[in-house]
Amino acid sequence: MPFKMHFLRFGFLLLLSLIIAGCDSKNTSETSANDSAKEDKPVRVALVMKSLANEFFINMAKGAERHQEEHADEYTLIVNGIRNESDLAQQVSLIEQMMATQVDVLVIAPADSKSILPVAKRAAEQGIVVINIDNKFDVELLEKMNVAIPFVGPDNLEGARLVGERLAQELTAGDKVAIIGGIPGAFNAQQRQKGFEEAMNAAGIEIVTVQSADWEQAKAATIAAAILSENPDLKAILAANDSMALGAVAAIRQAGRESDVLVVGFDNISAAQDMVKKGAMLATADQFGDKLAVFGIEYALQILKTGQAEADKKTPIELITAESLNQ
Amino acid sequence: MPGLKKLHLPWNSLGLIGVLIALILFFSFMSDYFFSTVTFRTLVNQIPALTVISVGMTYVLLIGGIDLSVGSVMALSAAVVGVAIADFHLPVLIAIVCGLAVGFIFGVTSGFVSSHWKIPSFVVTLGMLEIARGGSYLVTQSETKYIGDPVAFIGDPVPVVGISAALIAAVSVVIVAQWLLSKTIFGRYMIAIGTNEEAVRLAGINPVSWKIVVFAIAGLLAGLGGVFQLGYLQSADPNAGIGLELSAIAAVVIGGTSLSGGRGSVVNSFFGVLIIAVMQTGLAQLGVSESSKRIITGLVIIAAVLFDQYREPLAARLSGKNKRIPTFDDN
Amino acid sequence: MTESLSTPVNSGDLPVLLDVKALDKTFAVPVLKNLSFQLRKGEIHALMGSNGAGKSTLCNIIAGIHQPTAGEMYFLGEKYTPNDVKAAEEAGIRMVMQELNLFPTLSIAENLCFKNLGNKFGIIDSKRLRERATKLLDLVGLDDVTPETPMEDLGVGKQQLIEIASVISEPIKLLIVDEPTAALTDPQIDLLFEQLRKLRDQGVGIIYISHRMDEIQRIADRVSVLRDGQLVATEDIKDIDVETIVNLMSGDLDSHSISIKPGIRPPKSCVLRVRTLSKVGAFEDINLDIYSGEVLGIGGLIGSGRTELLRTLFGADVADAGSLRFASDDFLFPRLMRSPEEGVANGIGLVVEDRKSQGLLLQKSLLRNISLSILPQLTNKFAVVDKQREHDIAVEIAQRLAIKFDNIRAPIASLSGGNQQKALIARWLLRDLPILLFDEPSRGVDARAKTRIHELIREQALKGKAVIVVSSETQELMTVSDRIIVLSNGRMAGEFDRASFSEEKLLEASFRFYNKSSPQHKTNDKEQQDVSPTH
Repeated sequence: MPFKMHFLRFGFLLLLSLIIAGCDSKNTSETSANDSAKEDKPVRVALVMKSLANEFFINMAKGAERHQEEHADEYTLIVNGIRNESDLAQQVSLIEQMMATQVDVLVIAPADSKSILPVAKRAAEQGIVVINIDNKFDVELLEKMNVAIPFVGPDNLEGARLVGERLAQELTAGDKVAIIGGIPGAFNAQQRQKGFEEAMNAAGIEIVTVQSADWEQAKAATIAAAILSENPDLKAILAANDSMALGAVAAIRQAGRESDVLVVGFDNISAAQDMVKKGAMLATADQFGDKLAVFGIEYALQILKTGQAEADKKTPIELITAESLNQ
Repeated sequence: MPGLKKLHLPWNSLGLIGVLIALILFFSFMSDYFFSTVTFRTLVNQIPALTVISVGMTYVLLIGGIDLSVGSVMALSAAVVGVAIADFHLPVLIAIVCGLAVGFIFGVTSGFVSSHWKIPSFVVTLGMLEIARGGSYLVTQSETKYIGDPVAFIGDPVPVVGISAALIAAVSVVIVAQWLLSKTIFGRYMIAIGTNEEAVRLAGINPVSWKIVVFAIAGLLAGLGGVFQLGYLQSADPNAGIGLELSAIAAVVIGGTSLSGGRGSVVNSFFGVLIIAVMQTGLAQLGVSESSKRIITGLVIIAAVLFDQYREPLAARLSGKNKRIPTFDDN
Repeated sequence: MTESLSTPVNSGDLPVLLDVKALDKTFAVPVLKNLSFQLRKGEIHALMGSNGAGKSTLCNIIAGIHQPTAGEMYFLGEKYTPNDVKAAEEAGIRMVMQELNLFPTLSIAENLCFKNLGNKFGIIDSKRLRERATKLLDLVGLDDVTPETPMEDLGVGKQQLIEIASVISEPIKLLIVDEPTAALTDPQIDLLFEQLRKLRDQGVGIIYISHRMDEIQRIADRVSVLRDGQLVATEDIKDIDVETIVNLMSGDLDSHSISIKPGIRPPKSCVLRVRTLSKVGAFEDINLDIYSGEVLGIGGLIGSGRTELLRTLFGADVADAGSLRFASDDFLFPRLMRSPEEGVANGIGLVVEDRKSQGLLLQKSLLRNISLSILPQLTNKFAVVDKQREHDIAVEIAQRLAIKFDNIRAPIASLSGGNQQKALIARWLLRDLPILLFDEPSRGVDARAKTRIHELIREQALKGKAVIVVSSETQELMTVSDRIIVLSNGRMAGEFDRASFSEEKLLEASFRFYNKSSPQHKTNDKEQQDVSPTH
C-alpha cells in the first residue's frame, strides 16, 4: 500500500509540475512566435452572440459561417452565444475567454447596451478590433468612457417607422393601438419603440399602452391577452420583434379577434413570413439578419487592412408585406 | 498515509483533481490558446460569485435541505447595492452592507419558515426564488443599472497578481467555510443533522436553530455573490443568476456532497466549480455549438457523480485495501 | 359464556390442520426453543404469552415472513416450508398484521381489490370494484361507509376491519389475527367475532393472539400458552381459568438467576416529582416520585404507554396535562419539557428504544456517535473541537463499557447491536446527567452485552443517579430495578418494591386495565368521531 500511495502522490506532483512548466513555456513561445505567425496565419475572428436558441441569431451565426467558408483563406471564425438573452455575466465571460485566446477581431451582439461596454473597451485596448452589431452600445457611455467602437447595423428607428407607417395606412386617426417592447434597457428596443411611436403620432393614432415582453413569445402572448381584454376596441399591436408578434397573434386568435386586430413585427423570421403571407400579420421589417454579422466581419477586415478611422455603418433595411413577399 | 497528509488535501479530493487535470489536458490538446496564464486568470476571475454561492449550497445540502433561491437572491442583492450607489448615492461600503443584509434576511426567512413549521426547504426556497426575483425587478425597475467605476475594485484584476479582489475573498470564504465544517462544533452538528435529524434532537441538541443558521449563511453568501457579480459586470442586472442555483447544485454534487445530507466538503465543491468553469471556458474557446456544449456539460456532471459514487471502492482497490476507508468526516 | 356453547364440537375430533414440530428460531438470541404446536381445522386457537414469549415470531414463521432455524411444519399432512409471504398465501395461510398494510390515499375499494384492480387492459373498472367492495364492507358491518372514501379518512379500528375483510374475502384455510380488537368498538368486535365464527364453521383454523382474557374466553376454543419461546400448555378454554393462564405465562421464578445484586444504596432523595401527567392516546394521570440512587423499572405490555411516558419526561413528546417538579428548585415550579434540549438542560437523558432510526448516526463513526452530546465541552472559545481529547475520551469510555471495535473511525453501522447500544449509552454517560432514562436497553442485544448493560445501569444508581428503565422483559426489570411500576392501557396498575416482586403479580397488573369493564383506550374516541361518512 505505501508504494501505491506514493505512486499516486508522485504522479500527481508530476502532473502539477507539468502544468506549471507548460504554462510558462507556452507563454514565451507564443510571444516569440507571434510576429511571424501573424503574417501567414489567417485572421482570427470571434463572434459573440446573444441567445443561440433564438432563430434570428442562429441565422446570423449561420450566415457568418457560410461567409467564412467562402473566405476560408482570409479568416477563421469562432461563434459563441449565451443561454438566454439576458445572461450578462455569461456574455462577459465569453468575451474574456475570446480575449484570452488572442483573437484579432471581436464582433459582439451585446446583451445589454451598457454593461458589456467595460469588457469590450478592455478588448479594444488589448488591440483587438471590436465591432458592435445588432444592439448599439449606449452613446453617452461610449463618450464618457472615451472609447470608439463602431456599430455596424440597421437603423432600427428607421425600420420601425417604416413598419409603423405601413400600419398607419390601414388605420384612421384616433384608433387605438398597443406596443409590445423588447428588454427595456436594450438600445435596439428603445429605437424600435421610438420608431413605432413616431409613426403612430404622425398619423394621430392613440397608443393606449407600451409594455415590455423581454423579446419572448410566451411573455408577449400573456401580455397581449391582457391588453386585448383591457381594450375591446384595440385596432393593432406593434411588436418590437417577430417572436413577440407571434405571441400577439396567438393571443388574438385565442380571443377570437383576428378580424379586428392587426399585428406588425420586426426581423422577418421565417415563421413571421408565413404569418404575413396568411394575413395574420400585416408587416414586418427585414434587416437582413443573416447578413448582419457578415457586415460586421467585413467591416472589421476592412479596418484591419486599411487601419482607417472607425465610424458607424448603416446596413440596409426593407419593409416586408404580403405584396412584397408575393413579388 | 503520511504522504497524503503532507499534501494537505482531503483524501477524496484526489478524484476531482484528476478530473480537473484531465479536462485541462484535454482542452490544452484541443486548443492552441487554452493553456496559458491569461486563460487561467480570466477563468478564475469569473467564478467568485458561483464559488461563494456553492459554499452556501454545500452547507444547505449537508443538513439535508436545498436552497433554490440563491440565484434570485444574488440578483436582488446586486440590485440593491447597484440602486443604493447609482440612485441613492450611498457610499459603496454601506451599499454593500445593505446588499449583504438583504441576502441574510432572505436566508433567515427561508431557514425559519422551513425548519420552524417543518415545510420542505424545496418549497419554501422555491417561493423565495420568485419573491427575490420580483424584488430585483422592482428595485431596478426591470432595467440593468450601470454603475461603472465605483465597484470596479471588486472585480478588476489586482495589478501584479492578476486575480481579482473578489476571487481572493471567495477563496478565503472557501477556506473559512471548510475550516468551520471540519474543525468546529457547528460543522459537526451540520453533518449530524444531515445524517439523522431526529437522533440529534433526541441527543438534546436543538436542530432548528442550527438549520436557521445554515440558511442564513447561504443567504448571506448569495448576497456576497451578488456583490461579486456587481463588481464583475460593473452593473446590476435584474435577470442575473437565472438558473444559477442549478449550476451551484451541479458544482456541489460534482464535489461529492450528498443530496440527502450528512456528507460533503466545501473544498470539493470549489473543485466542482472549477470543473464547471474549465468546461465552459474550454468549450467556448473551441467554439463548440451551444447544443453540444449543453450535452457535454450534462454528461460531465453525470460522469463526475458516477465517478464519485464508485470512488470508495476504486480507491480501496488502488490502495490495496478491501474496505474500511475512513469516512469523510473522520479525516 | 353462552357463545362458546355454540361451539359445534367436541373439538378433539377435528383433524389437524397445521402441525409444528420442534421449531427453533434464533435472531441475536434464541427466540423459539424446540416449540411444538398443533392447530386443528375449524377451531379458534388463542395464543397467549407475555412480551417476547415468541407468539409473533411463531406466527411470522407460519405466515412465511421468517424462516425457522430448525424444525418442521406440516400443513394438511404435507411438509410446509414457505419461503415468503406469497408462498404462504398460495397455501391458503393469511395473517392480519398489527401494523396495517394499506395505501392511505387510495379509496377503500381500491385497497380491497388492490391485487386485482383493472381489467386485462389495465383499466380500472370502478363499477366492479364498487360492487365487490360494498359486499366486503357488509361482511364486517361497515355498510355505513362508501367504498370511495380514502383509507386515511377512517380510524384505525375501521382500517383493521377492512384489512380483515380483504383477507377473509379470499379462499383461506388458516387465518392468523394479531390483537385485532385493540382499536375496535364493542359492536365492531361483535361483528368481527361473528365473521371469525363463520370462518371457523367453514373449517378454517384460526390463530388468535390477544392480551384480553375476556375476549379469549368469549371466542376461543382452545388456548396455548407460550413462555420463553416454548409451549407450556394447550388446554380447552372450558378447562382453564384466568388465574391458571397467568400462572402459566409467568412460570417459575427459580429457573432464572438474578445475576446482579442491588448493592448498597446511597442515601436516596427525591429528584423529580411527576404529577397527573397525561398524554392523549398514550397514558393518563401518572404520578411518580423519582429518587436518586434508585433504579425504577416500568413494566407493562407493548403499547401500554411506557415508551410515550419516557419520551414525555425527556421532552421528545410534549404532555397534554400534568407537571414535573425538580429538586433543583425545591419542587417549586411546575414544568413540562417541551423539547429534548429542555430535558437535557433539566438533567434528563434518554437512551431511545429505536436506536437505529432515532439514536445513532448510522453512517458516521463510533467516535462521532459517542462524542455528539458532549461537543460543547470539547471546544475552545472559537468553537473548534479538540479532536485529540475527543478521541481520548471516546476511546476511554468505549473501553470502560467494553465496546468492541476495530477502528473507532469506522461507521457504527458495522458494529453489532450490543455494541451500538453501548455506544448510545456511552454518549449519555459522558453527559453525566442526574436522571437517566432507558427504553428497552437490551433489545436485540446478545446475552453478554445484556449483562454488561445491566451492570452499567446498576452502577449509575450506585453513583447516585436516578435511573428509569422500561423493558418488556419482566425478568430484566426484576433484575435491575429497585422498584417497579406497571402501566396497563396507559394507566398505573401497580407499584412493587423489591420485596414484593413476582412475575405473576407484574403480569397480572399489566393486564389489569385491558378488560372490558375498564374505560376503553383513547383511540375509540376517534372511532366515534368518524362514524359519520365523509362522502
